[in-house]
Amino acid sequence: MGALALAEQVPVPASADRQQFEQMVEEHLNGLFGAALRLTRNRTNAEDLLQDTFLRAWRSFHTFRPGTNARAWLYRILMNAYIDNYRKATREPEVVDHDDVDEFYLYSKVQESDEYRRAGNPEEAFLQTLMDADVKAALESLPEAFRAVVMLADIEGFSYKESAEILGIPIGTVMSRLHRGRKQLEVALWEYARRARYVDGARPEPQKYRSKDRPSADEGRR
Amino acid sequence: MSELDCEQVLEMVWGYLDGEIDEEQYVGIHMHIEKCGECGPRYEFQRKLMALVERKCKEGPIPSNLKQRLFRLLRD
Repeated sequence: MGALALAEQVPVPASADRQQFEQMVEEHLNGLFGAALRLTRNRTNAEDLLQDTFLRAWRSFHTFRPGTNARAWLYRILMNAYIDNYRKATREPEVVDHDDVDEFYLYSKVQESDEYRRAGNPEEAFLQTLMDADVKAALESLPEAFRAVVMLADIEGFSYKESAEILGIPIGTVMSRLHRGRKQLEVALWEYARRARYVDGARPEPQKYRSKDRPSADEGRR
Repeated sequence: MSELDCEQVLEMVWGYLDGEIDEEQYVGIHMHIEKCGECGPRYEFQRKLMALVERKCKEGPIPSNLKQRLFRLLRD
């Protein structure tokens, strides 16, 4: 500890490279940390993933072209590190086809619910019952391929094109996964909300979107 | 530009909510949603839901000890 503290007091002549790198990374660390948490679903793994991302980014910093999208570059490294570390076993993403979920699934459920209708403004009443933990858990319950794209587009605010570059997949695949991922998220949100609040006679039940045995048709062709 | 019906709006609505369509389409969809009693409340709900998901899933700042640990790696 003593030696470390002493070492920190003595300014090491930082190379221009390192300063540039630190400046560039620092403003994105909060976002990267949150993304690592959503991906790994675990604090310890998120810290490890972030550290790996950080070191990988530093090692390949010479390949980064100034003026290009630093944030997308960093998230791409994060995704690659995540895939290398946590998805070694399965090459193909686990995907369940949820195209049978209707558009406006959640809106319809809320409208049909006596409990929420009694509140006068069912939509608002529903949104207000959602707790942070419910929403995070619902997102984390999505299969990885959907979770990643929903996280990039809906939480981190990346465009379709940026998300496609980060994940190394075509834009069309981003759009289709985003659409389906959002539907699954609606199903999960409804389940979490009713189990937490016991609305509409809800009882704990196995969630359909957890069955990972049925790969979808279009994912297989990637 | 001819007015859009509900089905046409549905096809483009995610691009609309995501800001991924051109301005002319945007205006067309916006006009429809403003006055359609079917679509209006649905997209309003969708928009609020997406904002809520974003808000609730955002994490606070990275813990400062973790940040320090990362930057120290560059000096070892």
